Amino acid sequence: MTTSTGTGTGPRALARQRRRASVARFWRQYRAERAGLYGLAVLALCALLALFAPLFVGSDVSSVTDAPGRPMQSPSAEFPLGTDQFGRDLLGLVIWGSRVSLLVGLLAAVLSVAIGTLIGVTAGHFKGWYATVMMRVTDWFLVMPTLVLAIALATVMSRSLTTTVIAIGVTTWPTTARLVRAQTLAVETRPYIERAKALGGGHWHIMSRHVLPNVMPLVLAQTTLIISSAILAEATLAFLGLGDPTVVSWGGLLQDAREAGAVSAGDWWYLVPPGIAIAVVALAFTLCGRAVEAVLNPRLGVSR
Amino acid sequence: MTADATPALVEDRQTAAGPRVRERSAYPRYLAGKVAGAAVSLLAVLVTSFFLFRLIPGDPVKTMTGGRQVSAEQLAAYREEFGLDLPLWRQFTDYSGKALTGDFGTSYQFRAPVVDKITEALPNTLLLTGTAFVLYTALGIFLGTRSAWRRGGLGDRVNTGLALTLYSIPSFWLGLLLIIVLSVGIGPLPGLFPTGGMESGGEEGFAYVLDVAHHLVLPVVTLVAVEYGQTLLVTRSALLDEMGSDYLTTARAKGLRDDLVRRRHAVPNALLPTVTLIFINLGRTVAGVILVETVFSWPGLGGLFYQALSVPDLPLVQGLFFVFAAAVILMNTLADLVYPLLDPRVAR
Amino acid sequence: MGTNDQTRSLPRGLRLVAAAGAAALTLTAGLATPLDPAPRQARAADDGKKVLTVAVAQSVDSLSPFLAVRLLSTSIHRLMYEYLTNYDPKDNHAIPGLATKWESSPDKLTWTYTIRSNSKWSDGEQATAEDAAWTFNKMMTDSGAATANGSYVGNFRKVTAPSPTRLVIELKKPQATMTALDVPIVPKHVWEKVSDFSEFNNDKSFPVVGNGPFVLTGYKPDSYVRLKANESFWRGAPKFDELVFRYYKDQDAAVSALRKGEVSFVAGSPSLTPAQAESLEGAENVKVNDAPGRRFYALATNPGAKAKNGEKFGDGHPSLLDRRVRHALFMAVDREAIIDKVFRGHAVEGEGYIPPRFSQYFWKPSTSQKLAYDPAKAAELLDRAGYRKNGDGKRVGKDGKPITYRVLCHATDPNDKAVGKYLQEWWGDLGIGVRLECLDNVTDPWLAGKYDLAFDGWSVNPDPDFVLSIHTCGALPATPKDTGATDNFICDKQYDELYARQLAEYDPAKRADIVKRMESRLYDLGYMNVMAYPNAVEAYRTDQIKSITTMPAKAGNIYGQDGYWSWWSAVPADAGGSSDNASSTGVVVGIVAGVVILGGLGVFAAMRRRATAEDRE
Repeated sequence: MTTSTGTGTGPRALARQRRRASVARFWRQYRAERAGLYGLAVLALCALLALFAPLFVGSDVSSVTDAPGRPMQSPSAEFPLGTDQFGRDLLGLVIWGSRVSLLVGLLAAVLSVAIGTLIGVTAGHFKGWYATVMMRVTDWFLVMPTLVLAIALATVMSRSLTTTVIAIGVTTWPTTARLVRAQTLAVETRPYIERAKALGGGHWHIMSRHVLPNVMPLVLAQTTLIISSAILAEATLAFLGLGDPTVVSWGGLLQDAREAGAVSAGDWWYLVPPGIAIAVVALAFTLCGRAVEAVLNPRLGVSR
Repeated sequence: MTADATPALVEDRQTAAGPRVRERSAYPRYLAGKVAGAAVSLLAVLVTSFFLFRLIPGDPVKTMTGGRQVSAEQLAAYREEFGLDLPLWRQFTDYSGKALTGDFGTSYQFRAPVVDKITEALPNTLLLTGTAFVLYTALGIFLGTRSAWRRGGLGDRVNTGLALTLYSIPSFWLGLLLIIVLSVGIGPLPGLFPTGGMESGGEEGFAYVLDVAHHLVLPVVTLVAVEYGQTLLVTRSALLDEMGSDYLTTARAKGLRDDLVRRRHAVPNALLPTVTLIFINLGRTVAGVILVETVFSWPGLGGLFYQALSVPDLPLVQGLFFVFAAAVILMNTLADLVYPLLDPRVAR
Repeated sequence: MGTNDQTRSLPRGLRLVAAAGAAALTLTAGLATPLDPAPRQARAADDGKKVLTVAVAQSVDSLSPFLAVRLLSTSIHRLMYEYLTNYDPKDNHAIPGLATKWESSPDKLTWTYTIRSNSKWSDGEQATAEDAAWTFNKMMTDSGAATANGSYVGNFRKVTAPSPTRLVIELKKPQATMTALDVPIVPKHVWEKVSDFSEFNNDKSFPVVGNGPFVLTGYKPDSYVRLKANESFWRGAPKFDELVFRYYKDQDAAVSALRKGEVSFVAGSPSLTPAQAESLEGAENVKVNDAPGRRFYALATNPGAKAKNGEKFGDGHPSLLDRRVRHALFMAVDREAIIDKVFRGHAVEGEGYIPPRFSQYFWKPSTSQKLAYDPAKAAELLDRAGYRKNGDGKRVGKDGKPITYRVLCHATDPNDKAVGKYLQEWWGDLGIGVRLECLDNVTDPWLAGKYDLAFDGWSVNPDPDFVLSIHTCGALPATPKDTGATDNFICDKQYDELYARQLAEYDPAKRADIVKRMESRLYDLGYMNVMAYPNAVEAYRTDQIKSITTMPAKAGNIYGQDGYWSWWSAVPADAGGSSDNASSTGVVVGIVAGVVILGGLGVFAAMRRRATAEDRE
């Protein structure tokens, strides 16, 4: 791609121009989706909060030996959301926890979508036995109870963030694979692909230059939707005690709260904020995903 | 809320297309194909359940005997008793051979047949999921229809907004909050519902039914709240799709009352694709209920699975995994089978 | 969408039906409350039965006394079957159970028990020495029957019943624990019909024949275990008519159930959390019993796992073989902070191996011996041992790599995870890394010696023999393939000599003295560092239980006692005031249900009005 920057009017530059135009068109249509914009705004805020968390809460917020408060204090001016069972500031922990929760959600979704796209594109491109086998595998994964499988995987491996990412990624890819394959099949019937083939374009060329760019919007929508469920899944696994106990995440905070007996003690301030954080971020990603879907496929009429 | 929630949302676009069967006479062949496919899937699940859980680190025999002093001979005897001394492939053939006759082995920790442990817990899980399923399906279809019919109105916006929000809430968290508010009681509010379990014990007859119903309320409410949104959204979009159809315009043009058009034509047709989703949901709910069972101490399959994993009680884990997957497969197959019978377009 | 109001009348009717259905559902749910006798459980009920309900979480592994090892199951067996001896609730000394007296021969090898003649099985048969002899013989000859309690009979040569009231046990070697044989004696005439002891779970036909204070009458896995009072129990019938162990897998659920009166007692596993205890302390009619516990909570160090045949295995960090390192690590553990922050006062700082509750065996280090909290001295000790900090401030091992210890923790124990976080920071300051390995099931790396340090804890019995025995060389596995009784592979000659001496010492005071010397030795070795003795924090409803015996009687626990004292002694509270309570709940429920329905109808009407308005546009 970099070689073509100078030529200006070459076919690649044209393609890039076209792509830029379609991104602009996409954004114009996306802007019309109000719910999607709200979602995006919330996400931007969360991302900023997570990125700059070290600036205003500091990594020592998770230190237990230097905890500033008494254990399980209710909200006060000093600790707006109260303290946890070590006397750590819960507001700080919720902000700090966003880093792990968002990271795991993103990575798991990327892994899931990457697997799904790889299998979907290849299964759509190479027909024959390869496609048959791959689609059988996909169908089979599709009927697997996701949560049960994820719990099983998390048990099989040692407790760490990587485990969580893998457990979620490996269990949620099949829908993406099926969608991408359908799209790939549709794209490959277009005349210009025939032409590319006739001109001697190899499999790799066709898949990477023609198919992939065309399935990218779908993949984008899919990613946003999967991040939402991945964040929920991370919380679920952490809540079931299958997460890494030494890192602070939203699901882990809920698990801590439950283990400390916050539920029967009625210490709602310990339970409510992490749950709301999870719900808000998951909802924001879902709204964005639906907005993207609506732009790509107006007939669905999901949000209007 | 499970990891599969959102992908399933997307998935409805495929299932909405549904299986198409061109001629009625083709149905037996179609049926045979689907049943055969389900059988293959079940076999695949059997294989997975056997090998996946062998990866759990830990020697089950050493775990079983705990900290007690056991000689190597004794350990070997245990291994032989549970067939763990055989090579893996022999274990597998033995296991699958027996599983085909309905024998899933003996639980390590309970020293009882796995089938017995599962049949003990299964009715409890079915009661919980069944009740929740009926309610959230009814609620989802009802609200989805309303929403679609008044697309863009305040009711629709509130409906879809609420559905999406509840849908993004972790079910275990909602369960915990419900326990705090309705079971423990906050402030002047007394605890109205039991905090967990399925029965107080010692009740007979009608009092027992009421007692179980009382225990059922909170877990069911939790499940319904997080699950109905999906049905709502799918019903809504199916109906919106349907409302663009020509025959509806024709019907309206004929001067049929709007309401009649909706009830007689649009809703029944739009519900067809939803049927698939409904069946699949039932299967998924059985497996997804683990969290709610954990939070509400419901004595079902989920709790058993969790307990079995920690040992690891391999025969029990395998048996349960098989049951969970089988529930989904069974329901998917049922959906496939029922769909062409319901869809009038298939008759052509 | 043009339409007129008239056409909407039918669906409106339909929707009303639906709304009514929903309301009916709400009502049924609400109605169930006033009818539900749960809040009056203990005082119950129509037939005037007094029921004591105990919230439990642990699943029953088996109801067969030959197989059961879990605390709940063995506690239930205490209630179902009489053991030869029991422990005095005041000070734990051995007192008569099924045996009224016992004596040992001068050579210490023959024990003769006199069996009481006033204990009957619940089916009317007389309980005799023959039953006891049969039970022990079965365990000695059938490996299936030896599953749970085989270790008690390992040193038995022969058990006979020369008469219905005389039981004779011949030993291979002297054994001081002959008055602490915690083996349920089962009725021979029922159990001799069992063909396979390794599979028989004793949970199919009820009531189960027994001679303890309660008779098992029902069991539903993970739902309840039900027992009824044995009216003809020789020590006197229990005051409650029924005892129900009801399952709450979630501890918070159990605590809320207690607060609402659904259950009479909750113990938590292993204990209520500080937050739960604090919240219950303010609750009406609830008494929190914060008693010195029988457990110790320790940090075990891998001493280089090896088998009896000398074969080494596992991969414990070599630096831990240096006693200075072990001492330094423990000196960097602020026990006071653990008591204060993690247990929030519901524990006592750890000293010797046996908790202070067992006063005759309790030992604490002298001031000079004590490894008090002193991070500076700990750092110095590590420097002296040759584990110095590198440029990054990390201490390096002899292999030149920075030291990171793997600490094995139980994923189900919040205390392990909490203390683990502190260890990470304390030892981090020393320049030593900590990797917490939290597992649901630690057995495997533990038995394989694949850990550096591990959180450890045992419940100590009135007779300390068992917890002492697990640190002897004799407890090591024969080969790496066997499983030994050892806790963490400690093998020390000096300790072993003392152990053998105490086991053969039949004089209690002298034996206690030797036990204390063993504890001192264990402390100095630094392989078993006791951080705390967690309290047993449990709670019960004073409006359901008037009084209950704790063990030790002065300040002791209720759940999991050595004996049946708590449930046998519990006195029901008077029934006054209970019905008021329930009916007021009923009223509140009725009001709430009404409000919900009205609210629902209101929203419904509003939406309808709005919809109609839209249609008119």
